[in-house]
Amino acid sequence: MSALGSTIVDWGTLGKVALASLVSGVGIAIVFSLAIVGAARFADMRRDGRAIEASAYAVLLTLSLAAVAGAVVLGIVVMAKKS
Amino acid sequence: MQSDVILVIVVGTALAFDFTNGFHDTANVVATSISTRAMSPRLAVTLAALLNFAGAFISLAVAATVANGIVESDAITPTVVFAGLIGAIGWNLATWYFGLPSSSSHALIGGVVGAALAADGAAAVQGDGLLSKVVVPALIAPVIAFVVAGLAITLAYRIVGVLRPGPVNRGFRLGQVVSGGMLALAHGTNDAQKTMGVITLALVAHGNISSDHFHVPSWVVVSSATAIALGTYIGGWRIIKTMGTRIIKMDPAQGFSAQGAGAAVILASSHFGYPLSTTHVISGGIMGAGAAKRVSAVRWGIAGNMVVAWVLTIPAAGAMGAATYGITRIFGTGALGPVLVSVVLLMSVLAIFGRRLQQGSPITATTS
Repeated sequence: MSALGSTIVDWGTLGKVALASLVSGVGIAIVFSLAIVGAARFADMRRDGRAIEASAYAVLLTLSLAAVAGAVVLGIVVMAKKS
Repeated sequence: MQSDVILVIVVGTALAFDFTNGFHDTANVVATSISTRAMSPRLAVTLAALLNFAGAFISLAVAATVANGIVESDAITPTVVFAGLIGAIGWNLATWYFGLPSSSSHALIGGVVGAALAADGAAAVQGDGLLSKVVVPALIAPVIAFVVAGLAITLAYRIVGVLRPGPVNRGFRLGQVVSGGMLALAHGTNDAQKTMGVITLALVAHGNISSDHFHVPSWVVVSSATAIALGTYIGGWRIIKTMGTRIIKMDPAQGFSAQGAGAAVILASSHFGYPLSTTHVISGGIMGAGAAKRVSAVRWGIAGNMVVAWVLTIPAAGAMGAATYGITRIFGTGALGPVLVSVVLLMSVLAIFGRRLQQGSPITATTS
C-alpha cells in the first residue's frame, strides 16, 4: 500500500511544493498587509505632525514594498528557469 | 500531399485549442480583480491578454512534455493529436456554455488519452503516469491553495484589522494588479507551451524537424502566444462571473489573498517540477479566502458543480477524442476524415455563437 502510494505520489516533491507555497503565499500577504499599515499610518502620523512615528511607518512601508518587489522578481526568475 | 493537409489541420486545430484555452481560462486570472473592482473588466482582460502573450515567451522548457509519461510515444500520430485536440476543444466549449471553470490542460490530456485508447487500445496509456501526473495533482492542487489562501487572508485581516476600510481596500486593489499580473504571466508560460508542444510534435512526426534536434520554431511561439492572448482578450465572461461572484462575494483583501496564494502555488509547483492546474489552484484559493472569513460565505453548491466538472473533464474529453478518432477512421487514414470533422466542428461553433448573439449575450465586459 505504502509502496504503491510512493509510486503514485511523489511525497517528497509534494511536501516541498506545499511548504514553498505556504511560505511564499502567506509571506506575500503578510508583507503587503504591512505595507498597507505603513502607508495608512504614515499618512495619519504626518497629518498629526508626529514626525518620528511617521518616519518609522515610512521605513515599514519601504521595506515591505521592497520585499513585495523582490517576490515579484523571484517569481519571474522561477518562471524563466522552469525545468 | 495527404500528410501536408493533415499537418495544416493539426496546426490550425492546435491554435484553435489555444484560443479556447485563453478564452476559457481568462477567468482564472481576472475574475477576482473584476469582482473587487480592482480593475475595470476591459482593462483586466487587456492586461491579462498582454501578460499571457509575454508569458508565452518566458520559457520553452516544458513544450516537449505534453502527454509525456501518460501516453506511449509510439501511439501519438497526427490523427490521434487531432482527435485529442477536438475532444479538448469540445469539452472547453461545453464547460464555457455552462459557466464552469475546468482545466484546459486536463481536457487536452483527456482528449489525447481517449484518442490513443481508440487507436491502440489500453496498452497506449500509462495508467501510473495518468494517476501520478494528472489525477493526484488534481486532488492536491485545490487543497494546498485553499489552505494557503485561508491562512493568508486570516493573517491579513489580523494585521490591517485596526485600520479604516477605505485605505485597506484601496491598498489591496492596488496589490491585485500585481498578483493578477503574476497569475497571467504564469498562465501564459504554462498553457501556451502546451500548444507549442503539440504543434512541434506534429512537425517532428511530419519530418519538418528532426527528433534529435527538438526545438520550437519561432513562428510556433509567436502564433501560440497570439492565439492564447486573443482568446484571453475576448474572454469567457460566463466563467468570469462564476469565479468572480458566484463562489463567494469577495472583498479586495480576499481577492488579493486568493490571487497571491494561487500565484505562489503555481510558481512553487513549476519550480519543483510538479505540474498543477491553474484552474484548480485558483478555484481552491478563492474558496479558501472565502471560507476563512465565514464557511457559509462559500456557495458550496456552485463549488460542488465545479468539482463535478473537474472529475468529468478527463473522461468526457477522452470520450470526445475517442469518438473523433473513430469518425475520422471511417473515412480512411487520409486527410478526408480530419477535414470533414473540422468543417462540422467549425459550423457547429459558428451556429452556437450565432445563436448566442441573436439571444444577446447576458454576460459581457460591460455587464459583469
